[in-house]
Amino acid sequence: MDLSVQIGSVRLRNPILVASGTFGYGREMADIVQFSQLGGIIPKTITLEPRAGNALPRSVETPCGMLNAIGLDNDGLAHFLEYHLPYLRTLPTALIVNIAGKSAAEFAELAQRLSEQPGITALELNLSCPNVAGGLDFATDPRLTFQVVEQVKRVCRLPVWAKLTPNVTDIVPIARAAVDAGADALSLVNTFVGMAVDWRRRRPILANVTGGLSGPAIKPLALRFVWQVARAVPVPILGIGGITTLDDVLEFLVAGASAVQVGTANFFDPTVTMRLVAGLPEALASLGAQSVQEIVGSLQA
Amino acid sequence: MTTPPRFFHGTVTALENVALARGTYRLRLASSELARAIAPGQFVMLRFPDRLDPLLGRAFALMDTVRDEHGQPHAIDIGYYVVGKMTRLLERLRPGDRLSVWGPLGKPFPRYDGVRELVLIAGGIGQTPFLALAQRALGLVGYSNQPARRECEQVRLVYGTRTADLLASVEDFQRLGVVVHICTEDGSAGYAGLVTDLLAELPRPQRGDYWVACGPMPMLRAVAKLAQDWQVPCHVSLESPMACGTGICYSCVTPVRSLDGWDYARVCLDGPIFDACQIAWDKI
Ligand SMILES: Cc1cc2nc3c(=O)[nH]c(=O)nc-3n(C[C@H](O)[C@H](O)[C@H](O)COP(=O)(O)OP(=O)(O)OC[C@H]3O[C@@H](n4cnc5c(N)ncnc54)[C@H](O)[C@@H]3O)c2cc1C
Ligand SMILES: Cc1cc2nc3c(=O)[nH]c(=O)nc-3n(C[C@H](O)[C@H](O)[C@H](O)COP(=O)(O)O)c2cc1C
Ligand code: FES
Repeated sequence: MDLSVQIGSVRLRNPILVASGTFGYGREMADIVQFSQLGGIIPKTITLEPRAGNALPRSVETPCGMLNAIGLDNDGLAHFLEYHLPYLRTLPTALIVNIAGKSAAEFAELAQRLSEQPGITALELNLSCPNVAGGLDFATDPRLTFQVVEQVKRVCRLPVWAKLTPNVTDIVPIARAAVDAGADALSLVNTFVGMAVDWRRRRPILANVTGGLSGPAIKPLALRFVWQVARAVPVPILGIGGITTLDDVLEFLVAGASAVQVGTANFFDPTVTMRLVAGLPEALASLGAQSVQEIVGSLQA
Repeated sequence: MTTPPRFFHGTVTALENVALARGTYRLRLASSELARAIAPGQFVMLRFPDRLDPLLGRAFALMDTVRDEHGQPHAIDIGYYVVGKMTRLLERLRPGDRLSVWGPLGKPFPRYDGVRELVLIAGGIGQTPFLALAQRALGLVGYSNQPARRECEQVRLVYGTRTADLLASVEDFQRLGVVVHICTEDGSAGYAGLVTDLLAELPRPQRGDYWVACGPMPMLRAVAKLAQDWQVPCHVSLESPMACGTGICYSCVTPVRSLDGWDYARVCLDGPIFDACQIAWDKI
């Protein structure tokens, strides 16, 4: 059984990756998973300067999901280069570094400096974090999306994956803008803006008031985006949203994702990715397939 | 004995789920892997394997490990108080039922070697980590493959709840030789008042004493303040809401002092036990 997948110029061992912000910087999971079994790791978003992140509480459980407003808590690029990257690049799996900038120029600066570093497979642009005030939500606008991706591509030799937000009326023009600007793949989707209320205290539960919804609750919503965009653009898609079981993985692949990223499930089922990888050959065989690639986008609709 | 694995995740069987006090239970879970690896102060995450709601695991401190007839650790006890979604379901658990569990998580209580008196200060369900700690510090039980070794001269427990019917495991502590002081907010048992009021009534701490506190945040803050005023070294065990327990979600952070002011630390990874002076209380 051939589990490998091709994401543009990048070949991954298998289609099971872990999503940014849901796997720390890898080292936290060293005793828990075998990195050599993963298709790839995407560490938590890094920004140019350190960010403390949002006030507490930052997350809350909701039915079959959770809302988070972590606010890109990270120690910045310099610390990443000095502390996390030397470790991450030794791990026996693909490394996709996820970045966020306050402007297209800042994205480009991050991309350029990372591009000089060995051991990085690709960059993922977090164009879509819903939890940061001050306009980090580039992917609600096709023009801004184009600008960021284009400027990054100009200074960076690495493959670029654009991670888009589902919090838009029509994602297709945004996806096209990213592809037109040179994105090598699209990561779909980030979290859905939501809210939780404590009616007794008449207060929002999250300090940030709103947060991003993730987990099994969003799977049907995410599947729709993957299916819709896969038909509209020629680049590979990384499906993200509530993936927890092997059925979920297969649903995303058939709907048009070339690979998937497991997010919130890492929180409540820390070894979930190991079981997904182990079970994949049998699931593919049950469809009469010999490879992952041949079922991607095979949905008949 | 082989060294225990550093991490266990699996589905385990509930052996017992017995009431200790009103709304308070001790749940025994069969897992020799966890029982051999875990140490006092550490915690596990629990979840119902076939349910997506509640979705996330909940953290529970190690109450004690349980040994089989050959003296080998084969199960762990946790203690819980029924407050919400997960604990209401736990209350209905029967022997033989299955739960998903992962751990050990967090850092254990450090050794209290050479301490004269170890004072354990517990508010409500915050007493759960102290039975194991008392046994370890008195040299009665070894955890995490370590032989039993006495650390301190004596252990005192200062334990407060809202009312008398919430008091749990008091005799278990007394049986170990721990000096127990009880208080209740309504005065239905022991001293009437909060643990910090009771602490103020007890003999002043002496050189060589160490405080360890676990309970609700306002209590921890008050204990930390008292410890600072009286210059007693003090550890606090925090219970910030957690989504993963493994350090990957950044939900559980707490402000701690740093060289240039303060920074967030992950309670699940860097804690749950902190030096009371380390916490940036004014930022909470
Ligand atoms: C390191 C650690 C150790 C813990 N050890 C124990 C233990 O030994 N025994 C025990 O009973 N519980 C313990 N807890 C708390 C436990 O993890 C659960 O949060 C608690 O049992 C409530 O779960 P629930 O699903 O029943 O309630 P939920 O439905 O999740 O919540 C009910 C209410 O409690 C609030 N709440 C939930 N979690 C917390 C929290 N951590 N702090 C403050 N408020 C909260 C919610 O906002 C809500 O208002 C520990 C927590 C941590 C972080
Ligand atoms: C706590 C938390 C933190 C996240 N942080 C990031 C982040 O830093 N960067 C990013 O691109 N996405 C982040 N995400 C979004 C996830 O990568 C993913 O797109 C989303 O959660 C949907 O997938 P899921 O339902 O499988 O979790 C975060 C999600 C969660 C739950
Ligand atoms: S609970 Fe997720 S980082 Fe601590």
